[in-house]
This record gives sequence, C-alpha cells and structure tokens, in this order.
Amino acid sequence: MHTEEIGLWALSSYYALLIIPLGLMIWLRIPIIGKTLSAVARMTLQLLFVGFYLQIVFSLNSPWINGLWLVVMVAVADFSIVRGCGLRLRRFLFPLFVALVGGTALPLLVFVGPLLNRPMLMDAQYVIPIGGMILGNCLRADIIGIRSFYEAMNQREKAFLYTLSQGARLHEAIRPYLRHACRAALLPTVATMATIGLVALPGMMTGVILGGADPMTAIKYQISIMIAIFTGTSITVVLAILMSVRGSFGPYGILDPLAFRS
Amino acid sequence: MKRLEAERATCLHGKTGSAPAIEMKNIVVRFEAKTVLDGFSLRLMPGEKLVLTGESGVGKSTVLKCILGFVIPAEGEIFIQGKRLTHDSVWTLRTLLSYVPQEPELGDGTLHEWFRSPFFFRANTSLRNNLDRLPGFLERFSLSQELLHKEVGALSGGEKQRAALISAILLERKIFLLDEPTSALDSKNGKKVLEFLFANPDVSILAVSHDHAFLDEADRVVELSARGGKNAY
Repeated sequence: MHTEEIGLWALSSYYALLIIPLGLMIWLRIPIIGKTLSAVARMTLQLLFVGFYLQIVFSLNSPWINGLWLVVMVAVADFSIVRGCGLRLRRFLFPLFVALVGGTALPLLVFVGPLLNRPMLMDAQYVIPIGGMILGNCLRADIIGIRSFYEAMNQREKAFLYTLSQGARLHEAIRPYLRHACRAALLPTVATMATIGLVALPGMMTGVILGGADPMTAIKYQISIMIAIFTGTSITVVLAILMSVRGSFGPYGILDPLAFRS
Repeated sequence: MKRLEAERATCLHGKTGSAPAIEMKNIVVRFEAKTVLDGFSLRLMPGEKLVLTGESGVGKSTVLKCILGFVIPAEGEIFIQGKRLTHDSVWTLRTLLSYVPQEPELGDGTLHEWFRSPFFFRANTSLRNNLDRLPGFLERFSLSQELLHKEVGALSGGEKQRAALISAILLERKIFLLDEPTSALDSKNGKKVLEFLFANPDVSILAVSHDHAFLDEADRVVELSARGGKNAY
C-alpha cells in the first residue's frame, strides 16, 4: 500500500484556491466572508492538533488511550447534540452520552472484532477513524431526531394530551412522535444507501482507494461502514429520544418547558 | 335550567352514600402572574350530571384539565372516586375518566385506525371487543361507515366531536369530562348526544357548556365567576 505524500509547501499553496470562493463572495456580496475565514482557520488548527495527537495515539496504540480518545469524541458529540437541540445541559448531558455510547459501541466493536478479526479491539488504526464516522453520523441523526420529536410534541400537544386522557401510559402516548422522529432522522442515511456510488464515491471508499487498496476491498469496507452507520444511528436515535423523555416530561406525563433553553 | 348556582352551591345530598366521583378541594391555579382558580372546590356525586358555565377565561376548561392531571394546581387536592390524584395515581385515575375536548385533535391516520388505537393501550386491551359496537354508534350519531376510511385530518369539527364522544363511550368509563361537547354540532345531533349521555344513571358527567339543552337537562349548573367559583358543592 502506498499513499502519495502531500508536501507542506504544496498544501500551503493549495490554500490559494480559496481565493476563488472568497472572490465570488465579494463579487456577489455574500456576507459570510468573515465566517468562512474563521472556519478555514479553525479547520486548519483543529486538524493540525488532531493530526499531532493522533500520531502520538497511533504510535503508542494503547487500548486505554484509544478508548479515552473515543470517550472524548463521544463527549464532544454529546455536548453538540444537547446544545443543538436547545436542551438543558445539566438534565440531558449524561442520558444522551449513554445513548451515544450505546449506539456507537455495538457496530464499532462488531466491525473491528468479528468482521476485521483484529487481535486488539481497541486498535487505533481502526477504532478511531471508524468510530469517528459512526459517531459523526449519530450526531447528525440525533439532532434531527430529537428536534423532530420535540417539535412534533409541541405542535400536536392537544393530540398528545388527548391520548393520555384515553388511558395511555407515557411510552404509549409518545410512540407516534417517536416514529415520526426516527423516520426523519434515518431517512437521510436510507437515501444515502440507495444512491451510494451512483452520485459520488463515498468518503471511506475514497480513503481506502487512496490508501492503495484495490476497489473491491474499498467497496467491502464501504458496505460495512454503511451498515455500521445505519445500525449505530438507529440505536442511538431511539435511545437518545427515550432517554431524553425521562428529563423532559414531568411526573404527570406533561412536557416540562423548563427542560428547554428556549 | 334546573338550578343556577353562582358561587355557593348547596350540596347534592340525593346521591351520597359512596365516595364522590370527583372532589376538588381549595384548588388554586396560577398561570404566571394570573390566578385562574382561587380556592375552587367542587363535588360531583356518582351519577350526577353537572354543568360548569361562566364567561370565557374564568377557568372552566382548567377545572377539567386539573382533574386529568394536565394542569397541576399550586394548592389544593383532587380526589377521583375517593383516591387522591398524585403523580403516582394519575395514570390509574385517568383510566376512570373519559374526556371529550372542545376541538378534538385526533392526530394522523384514518378514523378507523384512530378508533382502534386506544384499545391497544395496556389499560384498555380488555375492552377491545367494544369495537364491535362501533357501527351501531356511528349510525346512532349520524356518522356514515365510509368516514372510517377517511383521514382524521379531513373530518369536520362536528364529525371529530362525535367521533370523540363515541370513543369515550366505547372506553366504558364512569366519569365523563366534556368540554363544550356539542359546540360543533347542529341542534339535532347535539340533542342525540345529550339524550344518550344523560340517559345512563351510572355515568357521572362534568361538562363545560353554554348549550341551553345541556343546561336544562343538568342536575346542577355551577357558574364560575372571575374569582374561580369558590365552593361549588
């Protein structure tokens, strides 16, 4: 396997390409130039930091450090979800952390263990990139799912209360809203699976090909990662909504407005 | 109107001997700075048909929502068939009540699916055979069988109201909480509903209504004042 190295000067020069989108923004007076420059700076710094850190992590390849890195990744994703959904940090940080761990751990460990047959489950070369891909998708799906769930609850509160009045327990009354939210959260992954390879070569496949593997190996990896992502997002969305329900409904089964920041 | 009670109504002694169907004691409800109910008390005896009336905003619907546990009073106690309403008991006590909201929101799906859905809740599974009586009730309340295949969102206000009443009847509760149950019905259908509900002596009814037919047939009428209608016993 051989990957062509990108020189530091060559990469620095490549930044010059950004003159084109920035020029378009100036010409069209799109007011996001500041945000774009800040985003490019953040991307560079964050990736440099992660690059240095991962080099150390990869060279040590300690299962404890790798596990700790995964926990940090989950914690950052957890924080983004709670903030992105307008939920109270103190109430939801822990339950959503558990949901993310539950959703990510199973497909990741099955991927590295039974599928790849790695002797060490916490092998940095596999758990960190694959875990990151699953987690990134879980984060997006959780935000869509949780937001859809509470938006539907708010919009159709009367129908929900009516269901409670008919003798439904909380888990029975929230089921239509859970169904709606899961549909909204999982549809993007389903749509991606349906068009994968036709619209664009997916990220992992591209990475494996660039890493020097033949396309058939890359395809096997891509199929596996899609299954892992879909399994992970399904588990984490359902768990995240169910675990958030404990903090967002009062003991009488009524949505607690104090559970939300706005 | 048999009796119109303003703030202090007399006790209905004729049907005592068992625990009141509903008893509310010194209920205080505040929504932010506004006090909606201020020391409100009410007793509904088994089999009694009681109508709450009064101007908009005096808290009539809030009374029903308190009984259902949808609004938690700042002070006071509520008893349903002698059992105190708490966050533990609310789930069981709700299964003693049938609620018909003023503008029922029925969610998604067809009307047939909507009629079936409550019978899949654990509390109601033993009543599933009552669905066999659905065609008879549709006919009684002038709803066609074809409506069963219609999306609930496409039903008129009157159709939704009658569907909600039928569902309440099929669930066989002994206490009915009705919030303007005939507001979207014409007088003929309103009368049919009224006659059916009031004919059953075992059923207690607490209704919010301005419908004269309802007020005339009620055992008691309690008029809530802007201060929340204290001591409506």
